[in-house]
Amino acid sequence: MTLSVALGPDTRESTQTGTVVSADSLTAPDVPWNLVIWNDPVNLMSYVSFVFRSYFGYSEAKADKLMMEVHKKGRSIVAHGSKEQVEQHAVAMHGYGLWATVEKATSGGKEGTSGKGKGKRG
Amino acid sequence: MAKAFKYGLKGITGYLEPAERELLRGLFADVIAMLEPEERENQDPLSALIGLDMEVQEPTDRAVRRLLPNVMKDDGAASLEFRQLTERSLREGKIGALRAASLGLDKDDLTLTETDARHWSTALNDVRLVLAERLDIQDEADAEHVHLMQDWSQAEDVESYLALVYNFTTWLQESLVQAMVHSLDTQPGTRR
Repeated sequence: MTLSVALGPDTRESTQTGTVVSADSLTAPDVPWNLVIWNDPVNLMSYVSFVFRSYFGYSEAKADKLMMEVHKKGRSIVAHGSKEQVEQHAVAMHGYGLWATVEKATSGGKEGTSGKGKGKRG
Repeated sequence: MAKAFKYGLKGITGYLEPAERELLRGLFADVIAMLEPEERENQDPLSALIGLDMEVQEPTDRAVRRLLPNVMKDDGAASLEFRQLTERSLREGKIGALRAASLGLDKDDLTLTETDARHWSTALNDVRLVLAERLDIQDEADAEHVHLMQDWSQAEDVESYLALVYNFTTWLQESLVQAMVHSLDTQPGTRR
């Protein structure tokens, strides 16, 4: 993502909250698909955060945290759910111009839980 | 000179010079042309009506592929299947936003409702994604490099002109998003 142009010193605040938000409440074993947002050098950080707030209804702090994770780690799991749910989210994200994919919760990615002991695989 | 979008009592307002409007109209039209679905002779009218396109392929143009990405990272077949069900309506949604933003340019007064603002932000974003592919912006360093191009007297070739246009649309979108965030922050009860 890109920070874009400076609009003035008052428009950009630090997004560092310093808090670690637990993600485990969303990773129930019966919701085995993830919505992943990938970093790109074009989408504005403010825009990505705005989309997370307005589409998912996330708080500003949560939206900024996820946005920074996309920016710094290259990707972030921003929602979980059934395959149909995350696919619907993915299309919505593509509508906004964000680069989104869906994946099974147990494959790829090191975010969230390790998947150890979850039983089912593939 | 264009003025940054601002959120105030009247909603989100902006100001664009006639030449800037003309530029944006052209950019919106270019992206619309890229997104128009191909008409096929043997297209099943009922399928088309409900948004199915069983003949669809992954786009070959990089910019179009960025606008309409695969839904799965490492599964081309599943992504294509998903594309058959969703790509047509995704194209139509994007075209709708681009057309709405373009129509808004015909009015002297650039005051945006919440819906207008949403159309404008996605339209500008899609324009920027296409310009970025044309400018070969692959990483943050490329973006920084393009960002340095701010002086219109430096426009000597197509690439520098595109870079200036990209920076203009970036500035405009950033101001719009800030105004939309401001609007979101001042509306209580919008959070789900």
